[in-house]
Amino acid sequence: RPHSRPRHSGVHTMIPLLLLLLPAAHGIAQLSYRPVLTTEPLLEGVTTASTFVVNQPRCIFEGYDNAVIWLVVALDQAASNFNNTAGPGTSETEFQGFPDRVRAYMTLNATLGSYPCPKADGEIAVLRVGSETSCAQDVTRPTCNGPLPVPGPYRVKFLALEGSVPVAETAWSTPITLRTAKPLSSISTAGSGHSADMIAITTILSILLAILLAGLVAMLFFWGSDSCGSSGSFSKPESVTVRRYNTHHVYDQPAA
Amino acid sequence: MAKSDDCVHILQGLLVFGNVVIGMCGIALTAECIYFVSNPHGLYPLLKATENSDINAAAWIGIFVGLALFALSILGIIGVIKASRTLLLVYIILMLITFAFEMASCITAAAHRDSLTPEHFQKQMLERYQKSEPANNSEVTKAWDELMLQNHCCGVKGPSDWQEYQSAFRLTHSDADYPWPRTCCVLDAQGLPVSLDGCKLGVPGYYNSNGCYDAISGPVNTHAWGVAWFGFAILCWIFCVLLGTMFYWSGIEY
Repeated sequence: RPHSRPRHSGVHTMIPLLLLLLPAAHGIAQLSYRPVLTTEPLLEGVTTASTFVVNQPRCIFEGYDNAVIWLVVALDQAASNFNNTAGPGTSETEFQGFPDRVRAYMTLNATLGSYPCPKADGEIAVLRVGSETSCAQDVTRPTCNGPLPVPGPYRVKFLALEGSVPVAETAWSTPITLRTAKPLSSISTAGSGHSADMIAITTILSILLAILLAGLVAMLFFWGSDSCGSSGSFSKPESVTVRRYNTHHVYDQPAA
Repeated sequence: MAKSDDCVHILQGLLVFGNVVIGMCGIALTAECIYFVSNPHGLYPLLKATENSDINAAAWIGIFVGLALFALSILGIIGVIKASRTLLLVYIILMLITFAFEMASCITAAAHRDSLTPEHFQKQMLERYQKSEPANNSEVTKAWDELMLQNHCCGVKGPSDWQEYQSAFRLTHSDADYPWPRTCCVLDAQGLPVSLDGCKLGVPGYYNSNGCYDAISGPVNTHAWGVAWFGFAILCWIFCVLLGTMFYWSGIEY
């Protein structure tokens, strides 16, 4: 008789069951949506030195009414290593450890009700990553949406969790780099040189002043002499007096 | 000689007319410079901070030159009518001195218009706005706040000034809470932002997106142009009158 291991009668049903369960265990729906920086409307602060703004995932997670949608923010290099089963608010995903100890954190949780579909016209549906400054150092708030400490680059994705089980995720975004402030010394205040205005004014006025000074010198030099103005010499109006000269030294003879 | 007398009278008439015009221009120059010195747009603290207060000095010189021109024009008229050599000599010399001062004022005003670039104001604003240490920075802060409130503008080239460069403001106000100062937000009647989130995000309509450089450079350029070119025109006229006076003087019988 061949020795064979005794087989349980239910083994034949177990294996197909196991095969059925396996896809369900790795059954995180891969949504093709990719989070993007907001371009509509054009925001001045779409990226600042410590925040950035992405669109809300409207009409993306349809059907996942019981799920909580989290935003995962990761350093660019750590994005591919992110473990979807790492729960939010644990020491591996707390914001306060980012970026030294924690390479990716989870924040901005919301239910599907916060992202109604379709988006109303004129509504600005954005998420500002980095807007909560009050809890940035508070370890009792590990899911804090704190300001980003380094310029990046970062990648983000949305992850839907039912309880603690991830059920759907979007694709990672393209790398997002924040703005860096340049030092003040980089502002060049070197003048653009002198304009034509100033050169014209200076030249013309200098010439005029020189002519006037020359005229003054000529005037004083010819003070005494009746110069070229003699043909037009004119007398003072009120001192027109006729001088009488006693040419003959006629004196009143005293009575001799 | 009748013909010579006619020439004399014409020359006297021209000189008197010339001096009257100088007198009136002197008054106008004084009035214009008093207007600029009275700081109608509140820009003087900003100009002082960029070490560009020479335009103000040019205006002050303009005030005194204008008054001197008025006084000298009266002296000139008297001297021409009386045909007095001493009076006219004094007139000519004093007028030359005034000419030199006004020339300095014009050139200063024209030269300093060139150095009013946006970068100068950016640097000064980023260095001193909301910086608390030296006490005179509060003047600069107040001037910028008033400028931004009245003209509905932000920064020199725009709110991005605060993002592109480091600043004293950034040291005391975190980037996440204050990407740019609150005065850049559209404010309601109570002086509070209409929508703080809208302002922080930079949503059009909730913040002032244009820079204040136009609001600064407009008045300052007018100021500098007024002092420089009006002064230049007056000086050209004075040149002609002085030449005529010198000619007249040399023809007066000693």
